[in-house]
Order: sequence, then structure tokens, then C-alpha cells
Amino acid sequence: MTVQNKRVSILPDMTIPVLICDDSSFARKQMARALPENWDVSLSYAQNGVEAMDILRQGAAEVLFLDLNMPEMDGYEVLETVRKEDLNTMVIVVSGDIQQEAHKKVISLGAMDFIKKPVHKEEIHNILNEYGILQLSDKKLEIQDEEKVDNFDFFQELANVSMGRGIDLLSKLLDVYIPMPIPKVSHVEISDLCMTLKEVDHNDELTPICQGFIGTGIAGEVLLLFNKVKNEDVAALMNYSGEQNDVVALELLMDIASVLSGACLNGLTEQLDLAFSLGSPRVLGQHVKMDDLLQNKESNRWTKTLAIEMGFEVEKSELQCNLIMLFTEDSLLKLNHLVEYLN
Amino acid sequence: MEDVGKIDVHDLHWMMDMIQSIDVGLVVLDADYNVQVWNGFMENHSGNNSAQVLGNNLFKLFPYIPKDWFERKVNSVFLLKSQSFSNWEHRPYLFKFKNYRPITGSTEHMYQNVTFIPLITTSGEITQIGIMIYDVTDTAVNRMELEKANKQLERLSRTDRLTNLNNRGYWEECLENEYQRCARTKRHSSLLMFDIDHFKKVNDTYGHQAGDEVIRVVSKTLLDTIRATDIAGRYGGEEFAVLLIDTDQEGALLVAERLRKAIEATVVTYEDTEIRFTISLGIAEYNDNIESHTAWLEQSDKALYQSKESGRNNSTIYK
Repeated sequence: MTVQNKRVSILPDMTIPVLICDDSSFARKQMARALPENWDVSLSYAQNGVEAMDILRQGAAEVLFLDLNMPEMDGYEVLETVRKEDLNTMVIVVSGDIQQEAHKKVISLGAMDFIKKPVHKEEIHNILNEYGILQLSDKKLEIQDEEKVDNFDFFQELANVSMGRGIDLLSKLLDVYIPMPIPKVSHVEISDLCMTLKEVDHNDELTPICQGFIGTGIAGEVLLLFNKVKNEDVAALMNYSGEQNDVVALELLMDIASVLSGACLNGLTEQLDLAFSLGSPRVLGQHVKMDDLLQNKESNRWTKTLAIEMGFEVEKSELQCNLIMLFTEDSLLKLNHLVEYLN
Repeated sequence: MEDVGKIDVHDLHWMMDMIQSIDVGLVVLDADYNVQVWNGFMENHSGNNSAQVLGNNLFKLFPYIPKDWFERKVNSVFLLKSQSFSNWEHRPYLFKFKNYRPITGSTEHMYQNVTFIPLITTSGEITQIGIMIYDVTDTAVNRMELEKANKQLERLSRTDRLTNLNNRGYWEECLENEYQRCARTKRHSSLLMFDIDHFKKVNDTYGHQAGDEVIRVVSKTLLDTIRATDIAGRYGGEEFAVLLIDTDQEGALLVAERLRKAIEATVVTYEDTEIRFTISLGIAEYNDNIESHTAWLEQSDKALYQSKESGRNNSTIYK
């Protein structure tokens, strides 16, 4: 028996208890704001699966908006437990991992629907309507504002969604499922970057590819570090059957790189409503010696800035990749401004 | 974003004018690779005007474009709505345009960077793609010349002018690398050092130019004796050093003796004078007790000294 079959009906004029479960305070806020304004519901929040299960077991949530990638207990585990314990709730998954596989998996685990982050008001409205749970009242839905979202939390969510876009497109390109990593957002100093670059220089197994991007007020560079690239692996992944050599493999790798960074940037565009132009990708250290590059760095154009980092592996191959998105120091101004605006 | 307001025919006219005259190639293709837009840059460089090209299939027009490669690039644009790029270093050009500058042009064809972009309709679909072709011939030529110059510089900075052997600085770098490689892989290489016996006498008797000639002949004989993988260097005035890769001391002794005998049999003729000379050699094989590359060098130097002590014109293995 699936969960949605158990829902008989909601009595008219009954306030529906709704639970939003997401580890990001920014995402919880965004979700709450996307709900229809006159929807007759009472809202509660959970920061992870464990908290959500407590509330669900008390029967205090008829509708659950559920994130997938969370610490403690993730969305998949929540779905499994809900099913096992036969709890009466309607689950709508709201996810940054938008790969087909993730979608299929949550539906098979009993979720009613699957919404891509970032959520849009209209989409939520349509889904609620479709399932007949949109009870409107005269009251305006009151969102008790949680704590103010801090900048870091906002960047984290920005990163989750953007990287989710990148992973999804890459999985489509290569036709494989890529386990969604949780991107790491951090402030980096110039010395951190220099250390990374030095490491790249000393490690023959790394192929570094760089691609610059720029939009109004926000710019930076995406650095992709491919580890242990084997020509035949890349050719097989890209379904390439022609002659194999280093140049061809590098070109294929560049294709992979620009799809990845292009998709990540599209994710940013969607969330920030800002279009980016993307430069042509280039292999780092091929023409400019890393030492010279480092020396220029040390002559110091910036000191501290924002970085998003994510490492992932491609199934059925040994290909590993680390993606680092580095913003310019100037971009921080605009990014911080955006947080204020969205708060 | 969608609403750019009304575009007046007059505006459209100058916009088209700019597209037509911009110094970048602009091409639009539909899903069947038929050409939809072909701007002035493309007309001028290809010699095909838009009337000949528009509506026609790209591969029919330009059969030299590799179809598999092109389709792969374009497919990701159509399917993933994502940009793709082609760089001159991987593929020199998409369209083969002849170099058009009789004076300043130094390559046969134009080098191109190419960007493929999805063109999204108002309904969100992609039915066409845009291609932008940048002429990067100047960049490419500069970079290639720079690389050539760098390679030459690197070679020059490593080479001893008189003998064309590796110079001392570079040879020492090689020694350090080889020491580390031996320590890592437990494979044993040997170090061979030698110098020309009584070289000062050659210089004093026949002059420095004769001395130089002797050194050149020794270097040539050395290169003829060792394998291509061995690393020979001129260590000092009349002193030479060789890394015999993956060779134990017995193997090294064979090489040393062959070289010693070859030199002994050599006669250098300089300004009608016949000069004969000999060399003394010292050998040290790598072992795990050698603490550094300089210690290794010292061992072979000691062996060389022993050869000198015991009457010259012979080879000694360090013990």
C-alpha cells in the first residue's frame, strides 16, 4: 500500500499541518515563501530527517516538503521509514539533485512528486491543485520568520542547486548516475589557492582545466581538476570510437568541462536572475608555468574570497573530478547584497 | 528579460549592419545543419556569398568538416542547452580559410577558436544553434613562436657550447633525479667519471685550440660509445661524467674499458701534428648506503683518483 493511497480526504475548512524539512535555513525560508498565500495551513520546520520523523510520528504533518541531501538522516531514509512505519503523510520531494535516477528512486519510495530547486510559486500552486489539497482560506498564510538567514547558508544553498544542475547535465551527457556530493562553501585566502595550484603542479595525474565566467557584478573562474585521466576511459564515457590520443582525450575532457561549468552557471543564473558569459576553457599550466602564475598571485590582486568546492566520481570509470568555483573579491559585494535582498 | 520592447525597423537595420560587418564569423544552423545565417566575415573569408550558402547543408558545402566531431559538439548544444567550444590548439580550424595577408601572414590558414551556442526560441525550445568563429591566427602564431624559442633557450641553457654535451649545471640536475629514481625504484645505475691524462701538457705543448680539438674528439667518442638513454656531461675543463642508466658496475666497467681503448687508439691531427693521449676512469654503482647524489659523485671521483694513482690509462671500480 503506498502512502498517497492512504490519504482519504482532508475535511473541508481544516487547517492542514505542513512540514518543511531541509538542512538549509535559506531553503526552508524559500520553500515557505513559495507556498500559496491563502493556503490554510500551519507550518512547522525540521532541519534533518531525524527531526522530521519525530514530527511525522506525532501525526503532526499531513504534507511534507522534503529535501534529499541532508546530514543525520537524508531524504531517502525518511521516505523509507515513512513507508516502513506506514505513516500517513504526503511527501513532495524538493531537491537540488535533479538527476533522472534520483527522481525515479524517490517516486518508487512513495513520494508523490518531485520538484526541482529552486522552487517556484506557480509550480507549487499547480501541484497542490492537482492533488486537491489546496484549501484556500481568507486568512493570509503567516510565515513565522525563522532566524535571519546568514550569508553562508545562502551560498551553501546556491551551491547545492548550481552543482546539482552541473551533475545532472553531466549525467545526461555521459549517461551515468553520479552520486550527488554536498558542495563545500568556504572563504579562501590567496595562500590556500596557491597551495592547491602547487599541488596541481607536482601531481602528474591531475589535469587542470580552467574556465572564466562573468555576469553583471559577479565574476570568477571554474577550476576543474580531473584525476587519473585515462584516454580510453574518457573516450568510452563520451561514446567516442575514433582514433585515441592525448589531444583527442584532452578535447573530450574540455567538452566535459564546459558542459559542467556551463550547467553550474545556469544554476546560478536561475537563482540569481543574472546571465553569465562563459569563456573558452583552457588547460592550466600548459603555457604559463605554474611558478609564474603563482608569482603573479603573490604580487597580490586579492586576499580573501568565496569558493565553492565539490568532488565527485563518475561510475563505471576511474574518472574523478574536483570542481572549484572561485569568485572574484569584487563579486562578494554583489553576492552579499543579494542575500540582504532575499532575506 | 523577454520584453525588450518594440524594435523598430530602423533599429533592426543597424543591428543587421553590425552583424554583417563585425570581424567575427557568425553562422546559424538549423537542426538538419542547414545554414540560416552567414555574415559578412564568413562571406569574405569563404568566398561564398549568402545566396550560395543559405538553406544549404553545411556538410555538402564544406565536405572537409569532420561530421562525427561536429555532430558531437552540436549535439550537446541541442540536448543539454549548453555551450561548447573548440580551441585552435586541438583543432586548428573549423572552416578552412586561406591566409589572406600577403605581407604579414605567416601561416597557410586561419587559426580559429569556435563557440557553439544554443539559440532558444520564445517557447524555450532549441531549433537552431549559433556558431561564432574567432580569428586567432596572431595569437596562435605568437604562441607557437614563443614555444619554439623557449625550447631552443632551454636546450641552449643545458648544453656545453664546445662539446654539445650537457653542461655541468644541467648534468647535476640529471644526477639528482637519477639518484632519486634509483632510491625509489631500487634499480641500479652507475656513475662513470673520467678525465684526460696530462691534459695540461697537451695545452702547453700544442696550444689551447689543439686542446679544444682533443676535448671535442673525446666527447664524440664518448657519445659513440654510450647508449642514447645514458646521460653524458662535461663536468669541468677536461673532466667528464656519465650516468649509465640501469647498469651495474660490471656493465659500467665494460663501457669504461671500451671507451678507454677507443681513446687510446685515437690520433688527433692538429695542424699537421699528431696528438695521442689517454684517459683515466672511475666507476661507482648506486647502492642504498649512498646518502646523497653528492656522496655518489664523490665515490666515483675517488675511484678516478685511484686510477690516476695506479699509473693512469685504466678504470677503477669504487670499493
